[in-house]
Amino acid sequence: MGLKKILTDRQTWTGLVSIIGLSIILGLASHPGLIKRFLAGEFKQAFILKEDFPELVFISLPEAEEAWSRQEAVFIDSRSQEQFDRGHIPGAISVPLEDLKTGREDLLALIPEAPGIVIYCEGGSCQDSTDLARILEWRGFKNLKVFPGGWAEWQQSGLPVETNVEE
Amino acid sequence: MWKNKYVLLAFRLIVGGIFIWAGVSKIADPLSFAQNIRSYQLVGQTLSFLTAIFLPWVELIAGLWLIIGLYPKSSALLISCLLFFFIVLVAITMARGLNVDCGCFGTFSRQADWWLIAEDSLWLALSLVLLFSPANDFCLLKSKSSKA
Repeated sequence: MGLKKILTDRQTWTGLVSIIGLSIILGLASHPGLIKRFLAGEFKQAFILKEDFPELVFISLPEAEEAWSRQEAVFIDSRSQEQFDRGHIPGAISVPLEDLKTGREDLLALIPEAPGIVIYCEGGSCQDSTDLARILEWRGFKNLKVFPGGWAEWQQSGLPVETNVEE
Repeated sequence: MWKNKYVLLAFRLIVGGIFIWAGVSKIADPLSFAQNIRSYQLVGQTLSFLTAIFLPWVELIAGLWLIIGLYPKSSALLISCLLFFFIVLVAITMARGLNVDCGCFGTFSRQADWWLIAEDSLWLALSLVLLFSPANDFCLLKSKSSKA
């Protein structure tokens, strides 16, 4: 039986419209609260419920820069070790999310006592910083801030950088 | 072999079962799934959110209808298109050097890698057999374009 025959069969299209239509109805019906909150402007930065992660705050580049220059927070780089070695925010500590997920719990011990913690990843739409922040909040870390602009925004703005690669 | 009604029923149970599981495992926590979609870095927040709300239901209903034989050709067509899309998506993601969880089965998620492409290709092959097979035994609503 050929594709043309399937595609020209009205029943095929009735079925497709039924599946998609029913999915839309059930999707809307199963999560009305989330849809309402999304329409109200929530989840613009990350798909997390504020009540589940009360410690988590998202900050802009000027706020990150201020925290860095005043040494008000320790910076955590959630990217891979290679990316960190190629360049990172000066003074940042490397806690690669992918290593932590594969059991490198010792990485958490590297995070010192600090009035605040700023976590970043590559920038753009990378999610590692938010994912790492969620893990840190579960582990009891306080005053967590995510800098969504990340390494890309920091670097592009001409702020100081640090590398571990020998020139 | 592809015309054996029991083999075809087994294919329906396998492919439909996988899609039901994929759907059910994600319906309860759409935000986690939205985060997974976002990590592919292909679509923005809005499209990630909408996909996370509706796609699990599409998977669940298509899988369920494939098994019970309600619009089986539509289900097989939709599932084949989805699997083809998933394979292309994982391939693009790997080519871009991104290291992401596939988001396939909720908390049972795994890395988007060659194994995932291989698995999806197998399910796509079974799904295409169901799509192009003229037989439609054990179906609730037989397709008119199929031989009875």
